[in-house]
Amino acid sequence: MPQERRTPAKLDLLQGTLDLLVLQTLASMGPQHGYGLARRIEQLSGDEVLLNQGTIYASLVRLQQRRWIAAEWGVSETNRRAKYYSITKAGKRELAEETSYWARLTAVVGRVLAPSGGSTK
Amino acid sequence: MTGRLREWWERLVGFLRGRQQDVDFDDELAAHVELAVEDSVRRGMSREDARRLASMKLGSRLAARELAGDQRGLPWFESWIADLRYAWRMMWKSPAFTATAVAMLAAGIGLNVIVFTVTNTVLFKGFPGVRDNERLLYITALRSGGASYADFEDWQSQARSFQGMALVRGGRYTYSDAAGMPETFDATAVTAGTFRLAGQKPLVGRDFAPADEVPGAAPVVVLRHGFWERRYGKDPSVIGRIVHVNGVPTTVIGVMPPGFSFPQNQDFWLPLVPTPEIRSRANHNNWFVLGRLADHATIDQARAELDTIGKRLEIAYPLTNKGFPVTAHRFHEFFIGPNATLIYQAMVGAVGCVLLIACANLANLLLARAMTRTREISLRLALGAARSRIVRQLLVESVLISSLGGFAGFWIAKWGVRIFAVAATGAGLSDQIAGNWFDHILDYSMDYRVFAFVAAISIGTGLLFGLAPARRLSTLDVNASLKDGGRGGSSRRSTLSALLVVSEMALAVVLLAGAGVMIRSFLKVYTADVGFNRHGLVTALINLPDAKYPTPAARIAFFDRLKTQVETMAGVESAAIGSLPAGGSQRIPFELAGAPPVDGQRLPVLAATTIGPAYFRTLGTPVLAGREFEDADRSSRVPVVVVNQRFAAAHWPGTDAIGKRLRLIRSNAPGPWLTVVGVVATVAQNDPLQPESNAVIYLPYQQENRASMWVIARTSLPVSGFAGALRKEVQNLDPALPLQLGPFTVADRLAERYQYRAMSGMLFLFCAVAALLLASIGLYAVVAHWVSQRTQEIGVRMAIGGSARDILQLVLTQAVTTIAFGLGTGLGAALLLLPALKAVLIQVSPADPITLVVAACALSAAALLGCLIPARRAMRVEPLRALRAESS
Repeated sequence: MPQERRTPAKLDLLQGTLDLLVLQTLASMGPQHGYGLARRIEQLSGDEVLLNQGTIYASLVRLQQRRWIAAEWGVSETNRRAKYYSITKAGKRELAEETSYWARLTAVVGRVLAPSGGSTK
Repeated sequence: MTGRLREWWERLVGFLRGRQQDVDFDDELAAHVELAVEDSVRRGMSREDARRLASMKLGSRLAARELAGDQRGLPWFESWIADLRYAWRMMWKSPAFTATAVAMLAAGIGLNVIVFTVTNTVLFKGFPGVRDNERLLYITALRSGGASYADFEDWQSQARSFQGMALVRGGRYTYSDAAGMPETFDATAVTAGTFRLAGQKPLVGRDFAPADEVPGAAPVVVLRHGFWERRYGKDPSVIGRIVHVNGVPTTVIGVMPPGFSFPQNQDFWLPLVPTPEIRSRANHNNWFVLGRLADHATIDQARAELDTIGKRLEIAYPLTNKGFPVTAHRFHEFFIGPNATLIYQAMVGAVGCVLLIACANLANLLLARAMTRTREISLRLALGAARSRIVRQLLVESVLISSLGGFAGFWIAKWGVRIFAVAATGAGLSDQIAGNWFDHILDYSMDYRVFAFVAAISIGTGLLFGLAPARRLSTLDVNASLKDGGRGGSSRRSTLSALLVVSEMALAVVLLAGAGVMIRSFLKVYTADVGFNRHGLVTALINLPDAKYPTPAARIAFFDRLKTQVETMAGVESAAIGSLPAGGSQRIPFELAGAPPVDGQRLPVLAATTIGPAYFRTLGTPVLAGREFEDADRSSRVPVVVVNQRFAAAHWPGTDAIGKRLRLIRSNAPGPWLTVVGVVATVAQNDPLQPESNAVIYLPYQQENRASMWVIARTSLPVSGFAGALRKEVQNLDPALPLQLGPFTVADRLAERYQYRAMSGMLFLFCAVAALLLASIGLYAVVAHWVSQRTQEIGVRMAIGGSARDILQLVLTQAVTTIAFGLGTGLGAALLLLPALKAVLIQVSPADPITLVVAACALSAAALLGCLIPARRAMRVEPLRALRAESS
């Protein structure tokens, strides 16, 4: 099933990847606001992902539309009003599926690229 | 997967609600920045640096907003709507251009839709009310003139590729009821199951049942809806009533649904009761069989199977079936015929050409207009619009215009078709069958095929005329065109314009040549020598009912008396009883006296027709030798015959035909020897265009005993005046006898036969004139544009001493080159395409040199006229003003 959703366009893959990162972050850290998510993803990726933090909001809208995350206004530890996102049950299911798909995909791509990758270095 | 679906649902809802932005979004972004600042400050950054860093990392708030907003709607669809809105605004900004384009397209599309609707009706829709018309086949041994009942029974029992078959036989019947006088109507005798094959049931009452077909069964009749409505005011109690058909008491058992008239134009249907005479295999005059293909069968299979069955019958019954192969035809093959089909297709082609020319003109207009939009487009390209996006925008504009044209064209066509339907009533729509066969049958309403055609042609034309200009604009060199104020790409543009005009002119030449040969061919038909003087000849058909005129003597006496009465009518010069001049003949096997004996199956067949005394005098056809029939040629005397010159020349070449003898073989038995008493000039009895079909013999009605004869009069009276007088004479002889057909003039009747040719000739001419006009306007526009582009150059030339003549030459060289290319291409295309019309052209070659020369001259003249106006403008350019205008 998940393969069907993967169109070869580069943009889709990036978009899907960001969605996956958001879901994973919410699953492992609990409810987060937009900035927290962006910051967390930057940290986890060792600041390797050059994230335009604004783009995370399109992803959040999309995930809400799909009912994979829920949003709620809350108060931060610094007493600031912020919107908090949390992963839903459907979101957890999706995350599990996507993670296994991702693992398979990267394994395959890794295998295919390995020999030539080695020789160019 | 539900997630995806939900997303699209939300997007659709968002789109429909007009994308209500999340009201909290700004708060959320503000919170984002504040949180980021606090975070950085906590890690020791100054508040100012932290704020800058946070803003930088968040990126443009506007972009974030857009992105999130796009996620809430259907951006792709919304951009189409934006394009459409923009196109709409652009349209209203240049109303003159829009009006011209829409009007041109409306006319072109309207014309195409009219012709398509008519062609669709005549060729494909078949009879109204018939289910799956394309699965219904018409089966005959056409060369024998039809199918016999015995053939029908064999075909039906042996053919596997048909669900069922029916035999039909049209005729004229008198009908009377309590309401009064008997009148004659067209009716069709059909086998039970005919309506089921058509997929129809009676609206009230019942269908024919097999029991109605048994000889001796109580006679029954089913009425057409219109007849029921006119005569009985839709009174359902008519079912069960006894009426008289041909004098026989008959029970009305049913009424068919409205609009259903099948398989001809008739007022009622009777069961086809197979009497021994009807069952005779030799009896097959103009009957035909309908068959519905079985679900699994294709038309090719059906044809192959019928061919096999027909060959078997030819071997089994050589005398009646030999040489008459059986075939199945589709509606248009059977009723319209290959020639008329080709003409209808040619008409579709002709109007298509006109639309193509209109498209080329619009493409040129758009190209000219593109100049004024160069700046706008360059700016958009410079600001990062994708070229594909620009092409799309421009195509949306042209398709919007063409859709408006299509919409208007559709309404034009609706009216046009309505007018055509009225005009076509009583007109011959094919060579194949008599003029009024289709009256009130063909349904010219627009069906799904027409709607699909309108949609396709509207969008298609928009893409066609919009694509070239759009591509040209989208490949602009941005830098150059922004710098030089919109002159970029003008040389490529004019090449494209010239190409478009060349193809317009080529198409116009093809249309002109096509119209030329079609019209010449039609004139040949119209002026063909028919062998008699068609003017002042009026005729009507009389049919004597068997009940009242049971014996040959009674019929002959009636016709003799009628002839004498009509002869003495005021204003009548001469009168005769006979067959309709140029109205066809009967095929009968025959034998010449003294000819070597022939095996019965290979008897030659001649064409015969039946006439009375003074026939040729009335027609104005000279008697070349001997005499024509006289009152004295009674059946008691020696049997006599008159032959025409073509027949005499074919069978007794070089000798005197008078006194020669021949006999006819009917129902396998030779008749008495007939002696030739006269030779007359050849009348085009069968087909004026096929002289060999007109070798005909004439039999005297006094010896032939026929119930149905035409009365023919040469008169100075108009038809209307003659009609009243004739009816009175007939009623003097028999008050209950109606005129079966007519009276009408023979000239009208002849013209009617080829009416669809006249119609197509006129349409071709109209298309050709429209094409000529459009092509010369096209050339005018291009030359005018060329002149306006070169005003500066012309000014310089004049300033350095160029004369007006030089300038004229400059402009004309340009125009003449274009015309020469257009003519060359067009003549070549005409020579290639027109031979397709060969089958329908009569005594005219498709490459008729006169026509081609006239077409070429007409085009050159019109085109030169078109470029004369801009050329004169060029000659009047004032050098100083021209130079100044350019620099300002």
